Amino acid sequence: MSFLGFGGNSQPQLSSQQKIQAAEAELDLVTDMFNKLVDNCHKKCIELKYAEGGLNNKESSCIDNCVVKYFETNVKVGENMQKFGQNFQPGRM
Amino acid sequence: MESLNNKEQQEFQKIVEQKQMKDFMRLYSNLVEKCFSDCVEDFTSSKLNNRELTCISKCAEKFLKHSERVGKRFQEQNALMNQNLR
Repeated sequence: MSFLGFGGNSQPQLSSQQKIQAAEAELDLVTDMFNKLVDNCHKKCIELKYAEGGLNNKESSCIDNCVVKYFETNVKVGENMQKFGQNFQPGRM
Repeated sequence: MESLNNKEQQEFQKIVEQKQMKDFMRLYSNLVEKCFSDCVEDFTSSKLNNRELTCISKCAEKFLKHSERVGKRFQEQNALMNQNLR
C-alpha cells in the first residue's frame, strides 16, 4: 500500500534492515488506521443502550458506510495535501 | 515495496508477533474502559449487579462483532484501493 505517493518504485537497492523497517512502518500505518476506524465507527454507530449483544440492522449498515467513508476521507485528505504540498516546502514557514 | 527474502521474513514475523501481543493488550484495556464507563454506574455496592453484568456482556460481545465487521469492510476497501493504485 502506498499513501500520498510515498514508497514509489524509484528506490535503489535497500539493505535488509531498511526493507524490514519499511515493512514495519507499513504495518504500523495499516494497524493504526484500522484501530482508528474501529474506535471512530464504534463511537458513531453503536447505540449505548446495548439492548442486544449482536449488531442490529441500523448499526450494521452504519458500520459499512462508516468504513467506506473513512477510506474516502483518507483519499480526499491525501488529494488536498498533495495540492497543498505543491506550494509548500517543509521546513520553510 | 520490495519483497523480503526468507531470513528477512522471519525477522519481520517476529516483529509482527510482538505487535500483535501489544495490540491485543491495547484492545483488552480499551474494552474494559469502554464497558466500565458505559455500564457500571451504581457504587452503592462493591458487587456488579445483574443489570451491569448483562450490559457488560452485551457491550463486549457487540464490540467484538463490531470490530469483526469493520475488519471485513476494511479488507474490502483496502483491496479496492490497491487495485485502483495499479
